Amino acid sequence: MKTVIKTTDLSKTYTGTAVPVHALKNVNLEFRQGEFTAIVGPSGSGKTTFLNVIGGLDKPTGGQVVIDGVDIATMKESKLFDFRLRHIGFVFQAYNLIPVLTAVENVSFIMLLQNRPKAEMEERAREMLNQVGLGDKVDVRPGKLSGGQQQRVAVARALASRPDFVLADEPTANLDTESAFNLLDIMSRLNREEHITLIFSTHDQRVIERARRVITLVDGAVASDEQFERTEVNEKA
Amino acid sequence: MKTLIKISWRNIWRNRSRSIIIITALILGLMGGVFSAAMRLALEEQQFEDTIDNQISHIQLHHPDFIANPEARYSIAGGIEIASELSMRDDIAVASARTVVDGMIASANMSSGVRIKGVVPEVEAKTTGLDELLSDGSYFTGGGRLPSVIIGQALADNLNTGVGSRLVLTFQDVDGEIVSSSFRVEGIFKLTSKSFEERTVYLNAAEMSRIVGAEDVVTEIAVVVEEPGEYRNVAEIIGGLYPDVKVRHWADLQPALYYSLEFLGEALIWILIIIIMAVSFGLLNTILMSILERVRELGVLLAVGMKRRKVFSMIVAETTIIAIIGGIIGLLMSWGMIEILGNTGVPIPGGEGLEDFGYASVLYPRIESSFYFEIALVLVIFAIIASLYPAWKAIRLQPAEAVRQE
Ligand SMILES: Nc1ncnc2c1ncn2[C@@H]1O[C@H](COP(=O)(O)OP(=O)(O)OP(=O)(O)O)[C@@H](O)[C@H]1O
Ligand SMILES: [Mg+2]
Repeated sequence: MKTVIKTTDLSKTYTGTAVPVHALKNVNLEFRQGEFTAIVGPSGSGKTTFLNVIGGLDKPTGGQVVIDGVDIATMKESKLFDFRLRHIGFVFQAYNLIPVLTAVENVSFIMLLQNRPKAEMEERAREMLNQVGLGDKVDVRPGKLSGGQQQRVAVARALASRPDFVLADEPTANLDTESAFNLLDIMSRLNREEHITLIFSTHDQRVIERARRVITLVDGAVASDEQFERTEVNEKA
Repeated sequence: MKTLIKISWRNIWRNRSRSIIIITALILGLMGGVFSAAMRLALEEQQFEDTIDNQISHIQLHHPDFIANPEARYSIAGGIEIASELSMRDDIAVASARTVVDGMIASANMSSGVRIKGVVPEVEAKTTGLDELLSDGSYFTGGGRLPSVIIGQALADNLNTGVGSRLVLTFQDVDGEIVSSSFRVEGIFKLTSKSFEERTVYLNAAEMSRIVGAEDVVTEIAVVVEEPGEYRNVAEIIGGLYPDVKVRHWADLQPALYYSLEFLGEALIWILIIIIMAVSFGLLNTILMSILERVRELGVLLAVGMKRRKVFSMIVAETTIIAIIGGIIGLLMSWGMIEILGNTGVPIPGGEGLEDFGYASVLYPRIESSFYFEIALVLVIFAIIASLYPAWKAIRLQPAEAVRQE
């Protein structure tokens, strides 16, 4: 399988604080196309920092992040915006959606920024909403959706534009157990069906068990990197 | 682009009451600005009409000594020729040669000091529109047993006389001799200025010649220029043509009026600046608040790859839409306001007393239609300027930081 992301000696030190914080220390990781990976670790271990750096939202202080053969660590800000738009999907813990747009408009949003043809955009957005089980909420605004439904819209949006990979920072943190499982199942299924690499961070042990690869960070360094064979028992086909 | 505007539009209505408040502020600001400007224009026009058009005209010519001693012997040499030469010029509408002297007027039981103006009725009508200022009587139709005079309403009240009454005028003739003659009040004119009404008497130039004892004695030439804005240039030209004559324009004659009009213009500009600033800062504050409330959301937009330029335009568009809504409603309401007040008039508080100083007690606000668009344009431009700072704040957000904020 093709390598999508490769980090080499990736480091990030926050210097804005009284004592410099070494949030990432020489992280060497490779992610291949189609992987479904959980980044786990205690609070403050550097999960968010890692995702931000490989997602081009933050600059590393050392090392490389090579995506599609390009080192984004040295990329200019303006190019990075475009790079994120074309290659990376994002799902955050909360407030992902534009409150004034309906579900389908939210899902179309990235494709809109990419200037995709309108008809294709609409069709894809509706299809994705169906995929996440929100086919009946197409014209509903986020405020009228539950937290779990909002996150599903966010996942649909992240995947709709078919990015190289999707980064999700604690996507289930604000959800109850059932919604969390449901979201994970959807993510896992879409990961297989759409062949889109999915990397998410989590605290939640039950969620971790769904991942096929689990990378554990401790104090900004990789403590373990394990692969699992999962049987998709919990998926609703 | 369409979606961007859609988002901006919907963002405006997210906090409905806040947007309505700021739109209301824009509307009131606009109405306040239009009202101030319309009142100023009304005041200026009323002053202009009253003082310049109906009293002093744009330019006056005198013998240099006449100014200190307004007597018949200080007349303009060749006054009749000068007046007719001036009348022929393209930049001058009309020039009225008058015989003006100071003297006394007396009724049966009262007397008063007045300025007596011997005029050619048809020319004077074109110069000051005296014929149209009459509130009572007629305009030099003649035919009576006694020669006619036209006096101001205030003077008539002071002398306790009316149309048809007999009056006696006393003044010095060309030789400095005191002369007296009887007249009949034929008409009474009315102006805003009580003091002008009190001290001005018009009679036919032919009668005047008879009493002063000489033909064609011209002590004053009043000039109305074609282009009111050109009064200074025209006065200068006339001064060059007739170096022996004292030429003064209305700003020389009425410096207080000139400065009060200048001051009004200046005051208006400051009023408008204050209104625009207040509204702009209100708008800035509103947009800034809405930015601060949306940090996470804006962070997400930047994170997913929405260019800073687009985020910037989105926020500027929000403000512009608010400004345009406020601008359009404000313009319509301002227009309605001026339409109504321009008909009913606006009473000036304590205005009765002001009449003595030549101010009307009721003004009819009026505005040039171009002003509506000018002030609306300025308001929209300032609104956009006011949005630049919040928009700049928004695009300086670091996506990683912004999405982290709890
Ligand atoms: N902007 C910042 N300035 C200074 N230090 C920071 C900043 N952001 C994160 N840190 C520090 O870097 C370290 C890693 O933080 P990070 O948020 O990546 O951890 P995390 O694993 O995502 O934690 P959590 O599970 O609580 O979300 C922590 O010690 C944190 O305090
Ligand atoms: Mg985190």
